[in-house]
Amino acid sequence: MEVKYINPFINAAQTVFKTMLNIDAKMGKPILKNEKTTSGDISGIMGLAGDRKGTICISFHDKGALFVFKTLVGEECESINPEVVDSIGELTNIISGQARKEFEQTGLNLKAAIPMVVVGKNVEVNFITKIPIISLPFYFSINNGTQEIMYLDFSFE
Amino acid sequence: MKVLVVDDFATMRKIVKNVLKQINIENVVEAENGKHALNVLNSEEIDLIISDWMMPEMTGIEFLKVCKEDDEKKKIPFIMVTAEGQKGSVMEAIKSGVDNYIVKPFTPDKLKDAIDRARTRAGK
Repeated sequence: MEVKYINPFINAAQTVFKTMLNIDAKMGKPILKNEKTTSGDISGIMGLAGDRKGTICISFHDKGALFVFKTLVGEECESINPEVVDSIGELTNIISGQARKEFEQTGLNLKAAIPMVVVGKNVEVNFITKIPIISLPFYFSINNGTQEIMYLDFSFE
Repeated sequence: MKVLVVDDFATMRKIVKNVLKQINIENVVEAENGKHALNVLNSEEIDLIISDWMMPEMTGIEFLKVCKEDDEKKKIPFIMVTAEGQKGSVMEAIKSGVDNYIVKPFTPDKLKDAIDRARTRAGK
């Protein structure tokens, strides 16, 4: 896959983290995934259509998702509940919107569907492409200094 | 300042409230669509409206048009929130009299700036 199709997703994730969460998310090494499954415990999934088609999946482990919820909404939550699920859906929506804006600047117009959120490990996702799927890990620190990861997995063709 | 936040998504209303809190605006009322928001405007004095675009029953743009056709409601600064910077949508909102718009994602500073500009434009 050409870099020009990857960079908008990287820029979108880092921009949204900086603006909505005031966090500098550091990207790790991209991974090629051969499994069409979610990378974390809670995942927002969104289809893309238009000049190209694809799927993006924003995935967190529980602790990372709870931290994101607390930072976004300003409320503490002990475990994954419907509000946390909604906040991950909204974050997925915003990252997708930012990515579409970045693609628009390269001349590609994309439309997005409504995000769907799934809770659970290794949930099968119908990525609209052939494998491999590109998985971009973004590292960020939570309250106690431990590192959490947001995975931005996507297929694009 | 009393702000009306209109969004069908409860979590997004909370996110906007949290951002408003960071710029010291804590007097916030919520509505889940344009229709509900009109009821709020008919019963409470509101100083600023921050409305989402896509909502069931009455969308943000429909709500904006109703407000801007009303002699009293049109005086309230109106900010439209959109997830994408689509020129067509923004142009429609501008033609319909929106006082400012803000594209998600936004920082507290960006929202404060949007509020200040909307209030200036509305003569507040």
